[in-house]
Amino acid sequence: MKSITLVTFAALMTLVFVFGSRSSAQDVSQIKYPKLNPLEIPNVKKIELDNGLRLYLSQDKSLPIFRASVRINIGSYLEPADKIGLADITSSVLRTGGTKKWSGDEIDEMLEAVGASVETSMGLATGTARINVLSEYTFLGLEVLAEVLRYPVFEQDKIDLEIVQQRSAIARRNDEALPLAIREFRKVIYGPKSVYARQSEYATINAISRDDLVAFHKKYFTPDNIQIGIWGDFDEKKIVKKIKKLFGDWSRGTVEIPKLPKVDYKFVRQVNYVEKNDVTQTNILLGHIGGLVTDEDYADRIVMNNILGGGFGNRMFNTIRSKEGLAYGTSATYTANIAYPGFFYGYVGTKSETTAKAIKEVIKVIKSMQTDPPTEEEMDRAKNAYLNSFVFNFDTKGEVVTRMMSYDYHGLPEDFLQQTKEKVEQVTAEDVVAAAMKNLRPDALQVVVVGKGEEFDMPLEELALGPVQTIDITIPSGEEKTELAITPENLEKGKNVLTEAAEAHGGLANFKKVSSLHTKGTLTIITPQGEMAIPFEELKAFPDKTRQEISLMGRTMLIIRNGSSGWHTGPTGELVPFSEEEILEENIDAMRNTIQMFQQIDSPEIQFVFDGSGEVDGSPVDFVVMLDKSGNSICRLAFDSKTHKLAAKSFWGTTMVGEGNIEERYAEFTQVEGILIPFKTFRNLDGKKCDYTEISEFNVNANVSADQFEKPTE
Amino acid sequence: MKKYHFTFQLLAVLAILLGTSPSYSFDFSKLENSVVEHTLENGLKLIILERHDAPVVSFNTYADVGSVDDPKGYTGLAHMFEHMAFKGTTTFGTKDYKAEKELIEIEDSIFMELRAERTKGFWADSARIEKLEKDYEAAREASYELVIPNQYGQTVSREGGVGLNAGTWADRTVYFISLPSNKVELWMALESERFLNPVLREMYKERDVVAEERRMRTESSPIGRLIEQFLGLSFLAHPYGIPGIGHMSDIQYYSRKEARAFFEKYYSPANLTISIVGDVNTKDLIKMAEKYWNRIPYRPKPARIATVEPVQTGERRMVIEDPSQPWYLAGWHIPENTHPDRPAIDALLDYLAIGRTSLLYKKLVKEEKMVAQVSGLTGFPGEKYPGMILLYALPAPKVSNTDCEAEILAEVERMKEELIPEDEVEKIKARAKAQFINGLSRNSGMGFQLAAYQNYWGDWREMFNELNRINAVTAEDIKRVANTYLTSKNRTVIMMNTVES
Repeated sequence: MKSITLVTFAALMTLVFVFGSRSSAQDVSQIKYPKLNPLEIPNVKKIELDNGLRLYLSQDKSLPIFRASVRINIGSYLEPADKIGLADITSSVLRTGGTKKWSGDEIDEMLEAVGASVETSMGLATGTARINVLSEYTFLGLEVLAEVLRYPVFEQDKIDLEIVQQRSAIARRNDEALPLAIREFRKVIYGPKSVYARQSEYATINAISRDDLVAFHKKYFTPDNIQIGIWGDFDEKKIVKKIKKLFGDWSRGTVEIPKLPKVDYKFVRQVNYVEKNDVTQTNILLGHIGGLVTDEDYADRIVMNNILGGGFGNRMFNTIRSKEGLAYGTSATYTANIAYPGFFYGYVGTKSETTAKAIKEVIKVIKSMQTDPPTEEEMDRAKNAYLNSFVFNFDTKGEVVTRMMSYDYHGLPEDFLQQTKEKVEQVTAEDVVAAAMKNLRPDALQVVVVGKGEEFDMPLEELALGPVQTIDITIPSGEEKTELAITPENLEKGKNVLTEAAEAHGGLANFKKVSSLHTKGTLTIITPQGEMAIPFEELKAFPDKTRQEISLMGRTMLIIRNGSSGWHTGPTGELVPFSEEEILEENIDAMRNTIQMFQQIDSPEIQFVFDGSGEVDGSPVDFVVMLDKSGNSICRLAFDSKTHKLAAKSFWGTTMVGEGNIEERYAEFTQVEGILIPFKTFRNLDGKKCDYTEISEFNVNANVSADQFEKPTE
Repeated sequence: MKKYHFTFQLLAVLAILLGTSPSYSFDFSKLENSVVEHTLENGLKLIILERHDAPVVSFNTYADVGSVDDPKGYTGLAHMFEHMAFKGTTTFGTKDYKAEKELIEIEDSIFMELRAERTKGFWADSARIEKLEKDYEAAREASYELVIPNQYGQTVSREGGVGLNAGTWADRTVYFISLPSNKVELWMALESERFLNPVLREMYKERDVVAEERRMRTESSPIGRLIEQFLGLSFLAHPYGIPGIGHMSDIQYYSRKEARAFFEKYYSPANLTISIVGDVNTKDLIKMAEKYWNRIPYRPKPARIATVEPVQTGERRMVIEDPSQPWYLAGWHIPENTHPDRPAIDALLDYLAIGRTSLLYKKLVKEEKMVAQVSGLTGFPGEKYPGMILLYALPAPKVSNTDCEAEILAEVERMKEELIPEDEVEKIKARAKAQFINGLSRNSGMGFQLAAYQNYWGDWREMFNELNRINAVTAEDIKRVANTYLTSKNRTVIMMNTVES
């Protein structure tokens, strides 16, 4: 039976072929296209309220739907480095955590009862709120929006809920390969600690309190930072009146919002390997920094992108996917943003066994943009793909309104898109080659490879694409935050633990005798490339004077702190004064000094709060948090429960390799002038070894003269 | 008591808010009456909706064939053909079809020999395989010389096409594109050509692409691995249990011959529905469709799958140990989407698992804070035949799947014991209405829905009937379907538990 069926099919097939080849040959180039019906660019009306809030309206009565998109011109770049996640958590709890008028649960009920939604979110450089309601519930949507933006109360219960969500996201962030690859790629391009790539950790989430949310909201959610775009089925007069009523009496902000930091990119050739063993496919992203939409050659790059790697039938797609069969997903684009540089990337997802081959092929294709000028056919396709699809920039009111808000905020001309289109029309093959020569650097690529290395077709070192660095994506553990309880008992207990520790370290009286120190030693920095030892010499006059001399690559660098002033050697050898903020940081750092810490036991400026018992490196310890007079944490201390010796110290700070959560461990406790001091200190940054200090000379109450802490004359 | 107070407050608030706004109901009949249906002589159906807001038009070519129709031993073939539909025709995508055709035949004959040898397994001649593999590689390269790669995609994007893509589901295969509205004839010519004269060129290269797609979606993704196991565990007989992407060994096995036969059988014009929504003139459009699409000769509409999944007689359960974070997934067999119980099942799911006010969200996310996410869906993996209702949860750090399951199943039990309050039934209906109206806003989405209803119900008008069906659901119906379907012996559970790799 089966063979008969197949024969029948074969016969049928032939019939179709014959029929087809006789009468159906369609030369589509012969088709005459009628003129495109005129495009009516949706009319957007702009109104600015007295308090700076900007409103954009576009009517569309075709369906009974009302929509709004609110642009809040702030972003996660504004959150402090020790509280990454603050902006995101604030935006979530803004919506879920209730308002003066309604609890968060009530808002959920009100909206979901009618299939409406009001949602808020936060990006790197923009916050967003959206309303989507049937037009009969327009005012409900607007009332909720106004309440949420203006009067959030940040219920603690909903903060706790959001913290669970955030912790879950951290726990799951290495599960899917592509998001992981994109995250690590952004880090190698913009810098792992930069606002453009940094990520939240358990520690940064744990450091966030309700007060932080309240302060972030108060500081940044102000009408002059907000643009509301509205489209759909509404009556303009009524809407404007309603919005004025809801937002009109909101006062302007008082702080100037800092701009996004500059991106300082250095071209580097490097391969970054991330081991992921539960995959059969390697995700590869390679590239470097990108550009801005306002760059001279932006239009040339649009055409370049279309030829190289955007859409169907570009060079990447044709080569990597169709010809070589190396991938399902492959693309390459030189991206551009309005506010900060985008990046250039080539992407390919290929089986482990063709990893090296795919990397080489992708680089070949990128290079071809510089060596093989676009053919006439490529130019024709790349330009027309942009020009002919231009109408799709205007086919919904929503995209016209939101684009206008963005241009308006960034000061781009309203017709920026039309101007770009006119430029694209003029782009020549020479322009594309010039753009490729100027912008693409196939000789200086950062390559991120996420996959199962043992199955690769070649060790990554042999690719000769620069040094191979392994990126450790282990998620730094973070104990669940337990609220620090500043109770009289804990204060008393904290002081007791400290006093016992002071005894164990030689006695409080001996510590109080110390007025100055002279120390010599070595700081050794641990980097992926190896260790680097830096000799140093330090003079200290308690409490607020320090002079450090360090010897870095044959150069001596000076760091002086003297009360509220200080100086350090700058990059070209000159002395640079510390900023106010830096001095503050230096003084807090001094307070963490073990000797100074014991000296401050009775100081009214400092509080020691007992924070429970636990373990450090397998030994039982008592935790004490050291707070300054305004309640800011200076550090968290762990003392061995039996010996009472200092076991660990953790705090947020800066090391030679970057900023993060620092953890100290000690060894070689040595007795000097009656006090017991560790001669070796090991430090971890965000859970990874970062440096260690060894003391070779330690003199208590050494001779120091005041002029050693003055600004030296050059 | 608290609940009562709260509801009272809420009503008062709503009254204030609504009092100031015009309340009217939208007249769907106007929209419904603007839809035009036309059937060509060869059985191909057109559904057209003129919308002149912008000079653009969206096309959906909806083939009533999906991965359920994959022949045994050839899983993933429906999807493979979808890829091949982008490779051109006898006149498109080739430098010289006559010469190419000969090379394709050589390629085929070598591959058939190769696969016959490979299939011998233990008895296979490894030297012969090695030689054949070399010849096969050479033949692939030789025929590729005559290919103009991706000419179809390049042509439509040059003319301003956006959103060019296709998707293969368990039930259906749909080809999408939106174009400036003056390019309708280009689409007619190209789209009809590819279902009249497709040439399955580059198939033996493209299978490598499909293999990469499988590695990406299924093998290298925890959720992909989970779903594949879940489907296999849920269905003993019905092909809903087979992954649509296909098994890796089958992807490496099929030849052009089977793909061609698949096309002949399932891409008959009577099995195609085309929906066109946008700035078009219906009369001209039909004329043009007759000119281009009527070239495809009539072939009968293929039969539906006859296999019926046997009634499940006991709970099925599986634990996957995986290096990724935990997932919980539970499913129950339910009828196809045209079954009278389906509106009540959809209402049940909405109340139980969708949104911040659903039972599961309130209990597990808000109150217990034990999961990061909980939700569900119906009609998985398809709607044409009886499928599944699913509930899934992502446990919060340090919470076990077992603990989550206890809470989830407790809420499921409540659905069987308690009648849900009348005002909650009204809210379900209000949400359905809002969702329905929102679904009308995009040309492409609207076209997709019209074609889908045409194929599932035999009449696109049923789309406008959907709200009536939901509005007829009562609290008793919801309780009844909960008791009928959400039983323990009808249940399949998979837990993905974390193990350190």
